Amino acid sequence: MKLRTLEQLEDLKKKGLALTYPDKLKIMVGMATCGISAGADKVFEALQAKITELGVDAVLEKTGCIGFCQREPLVDVVYPKKVRLSYQAMTPEKAAALVEALKKGEVYPENLLCRIDQEDFLVEGQVRPYANPHPPDLGVEAPRYEDLPFFGKQVKIALRNCGFIHPERIEEYIARGGYQALHRALTGLTPEEVISEVKSSGLRGRGGAGFPTGLKWEFARKNDSDEKYVICNADEGDPGAFMDRGILEGDPHAVIEGMAIGAYAIGAQEGYIYCRAEYPLAIHRLKIAIKQAEDLGLLGDKIFGSNFSFKLMIREGAGAFVCGEETSLIASIEGKVGEPRPRPPFPAQSGLWGKPTVINNVKTWSHIAPIIMRGAEWYSGFGTDKAPGTTVFALVGKVNNTGLVEIPLGMTLREMIFDIGGGIAGGRQFKAVQTGGPSGGCIPEEFLDTPVDYESLGALGSIMGSGGMIVMDERDCMVNVAKYFIDFTKDESCGKCTPCREGTLRLGEMLEAVTEGKASEEDLDKLVKMSELIKKTSLCGLGQTAPNPVLSTIRYFRDEYLAHVRDHKCPAKVCKPLISFHIIEDLCTGCQLCRLKCPAEAVEGAKKEPHRIIQEKCIKCGTCYEGCKFDAVVVD
Amino acid sequence: MNGKPGNLEVVLEKKARFVDPAKCTGCGTCLDVCPIRYQVQLPDDKARARAAYAKATDELVVTGIIARHRDERGNLLPILLDINRHFNWLPRPALEQVSDELKMPLAEILRVASFYNAFSLVPRGKYIINVCLGTGCFVKGSPRLLEALERALHIKHGQTTEDMLFTLEVVRCIGCCALAPAMRVGEDTFGRLTPAMIPRILKSYAESYGRDEAEEEAAG
Repeated sequence: MKLRTLEQLEDLKKKGLALTYPDKLKIMVGMATCGISAGADKVFEALQAKITELGVDAVLEKTGCIGFCQREPLVDVVYPKKVRLSYQAMTPEKAAALVEALKKGEVYPENLLCRIDQEDFLVEGQVRPYANPHPPDLGVEAPRYEDLPFFGKQVKIALRNCGFIHPERIEEYIARGGYQALHRALTGLTPEEVISEVKSSGLRGRGGAGFPTGLKWEFARKNDSDEKYVICNADEGDPGAFMDRGILEGDPHAVIEGMAIGAYAIGAQEGYIYCRAEYPLAIHRLKIAIKQAEDLGLLGDKIFGSNFSFKLMIREGAGAFVCGEETSLIASIEGKVGEPRPRPPFPAQSGLWGKPTVINNVKTWSHIAPIIMRGAEWYSGFGTDKAPGTTVFALVGKVNNTGLVEIPLGMTLREMIFDIGGGIAGGRQFKAVQTGGPSGGCIPEEFLDTPVDYESLGALGSIMGSGGMIVMDERDCMVNVAKYFIDFTKDESCGKCTPCREGTLRLGEMLEAVTEGKASEEDLDKLVKMSELIKKTSLCGLGQTAPNPVLSTIRYFRDEYLAHVRDHKCPAKVCKPLISFHIIEDLCTGCQLCRLKCPAEAVEGAKKEPHRIIQEKCIKCGTCYEGCKFDAVVVD
Repeated sequence: MNGKPGNLEVVLEKKARFVDPAKCTGCGTCLDVCPIRYQVQLPDDKARARAAYAKATDELVVTGIIARHRDERGNLLPILLDINRHFNWLPRPALEQVSDELKMPLAEILRVASFYNAFSLVPRGKYIINVCLGTGCFVKGSPRLLEALERALHIKHGQTTEDMLFTLEVVRCIGCCALAPAMRVGEDTFGRLTPAMIPRILKSYAESYGRDEAEEEAAG
């Protein structure tokens, strides 16, 4: 069936609502890549087996990731017209016990994360309570979803459906207001009106550079051409970032609908989603989503009976970080080597196959439908004047609550790390937070009250970037971190321009010397000078930002660099050439654990007698240090 | 043209263009517009003989892959990705076949094949292990994971074990940062790893491979 009218869309919505909120028990398992690697597939199997065994009348479903990756595998139980309960850190055994409790009509009291009493139907601006009129008393203690700092401080616009719908079912997306915005745009708005709405919402590119989205669309609209293209940049290459994966795996239609609206606005007939091949599940779910949208006539010829036709295709990346740069990405879609070219001309003038092209990030596209439905004013009510709206971060590293979080721009780093993130894991000391991937910088503690937006982070020598936020503690060596990023950009430099190709290589060598204690103080000045040079002379964004991690760490953690070059010490005790492991005789009980675990046979000593590390044999892997139950192993 | 054999004087009317390295900015515009570049310079038949496939059916597989993408614009990358997925690497005869059928110089294809990390020009093992060295995994100790794997498999990353069972590679982020450190073996993803867990994981794959082989033998 092809959808032609609003009534048909509403009919499908009713069907979708019945699917999403059935009249019987519904059990959902978060099955994005992160969930699966935490063991969600085994939990799913256990649930399935137990449900069949006991004959429980319940629907078992897979969903995307609700974002709280730290607590995965997550299992949700929806009691029809009552409440939804979220269970955390589930195991196959606990899953079986959960089903047994359900069979008896009881509430399983263990591993409860929170209770969800209502859901936000964001696109339509409605709240849908589970129970009417009052949330039921469950007889078990469970915090409310809104009261958990991890969820309560978030505003989910791009992530509106992640973890709430079955990502492989278009009906469930439609149930929560999906494709209403596309209908409104095609039947009620001119392309210019769509552009003006996006423009006045103030939405800026969420890929990191922050260029106003509406303006970009306007440029492409004004360029007359028989063919135009829209592209979704899903080549999420930044290490330590998985926002795009979360959206594509949890809510692929949000991106598809946004792209269709964008194509209508600029006058494009075709679009590409360029997704990195490292995300097989995202590609799989995108393919399903595109097929479903085509079957319903939401992609293809004469959508909703209008004159607008739009074809969407997927292109897989092949593992090249530089292809996240827009001109490289376009070259890659054309089947060429992914090398950047100088701009101008910008893609909006001459992009794919030389035609005007709008290229936006996954997150940017997924903001479009809500903006069209709720209006620019509503959207710009979030965030700051210069950067309205929300953005998604992947909060990872040494925080207690790792996961995917969406915040209004302007929230401080401290709120993100200590309220949402729940502070530093293991009670250790915060050292730095890294934003913007290899193009960004490390921000020290004294700037934790900086608001998160494009300009503020830029002023600190970092960038907003696409959304990786890696928290580091006292055990991370900042020189080593800088070396890590330069290693990365050195490997990923395409080699077209000399400053980037040769410069990152030399920076890497100099940093290597610092971590080996073979550098001098003058070398630090050389590092800074060379970094400035690379920034000024590189061809594309990769080279122009590659030295940022070096510059920001030298700026804020100079004493750590000095400790390496002056005292030949690594304060964080990470750089192998500068550290050694020892066993304190008084503390060693001779339990033999380290001796048995040592991969290099570098520990000697008889049972119940103090052990000793043979320095010549030690490969400094740290196994003994982490394994010792009596803190008898120390690092110098 | 004048003079006699052995001492000829020739006036060239049409000269080849050269790039002045002093002025070239490396923008690649000349490369893009050159019409000769995309014309296959066909050598004589003998030199055109392609390297042989390992299995006779392989050629049909590649033919099928090319047919699937023939009408797409810019189809080289999807074709190479599919070939790479089927064989786990890009065998020479397959590349030659692509060159012939797409009418594209082999050098051009090799340039693309060697640029992207996903492609391998040497055979890889049955299970490809990708250790994530993304920032999230890096700060949570994935370099130690990699070392443990290198010790357990007796190879360095980028290499394949002698029995062609495992290839060890590093990847810059598989998007499992919240469950760092992570790695992927074939299509399975593992999170929250410690070096101590490595031997057991490797063993389970070696065993399941052994089972597959035995079953195949029994069936065959």
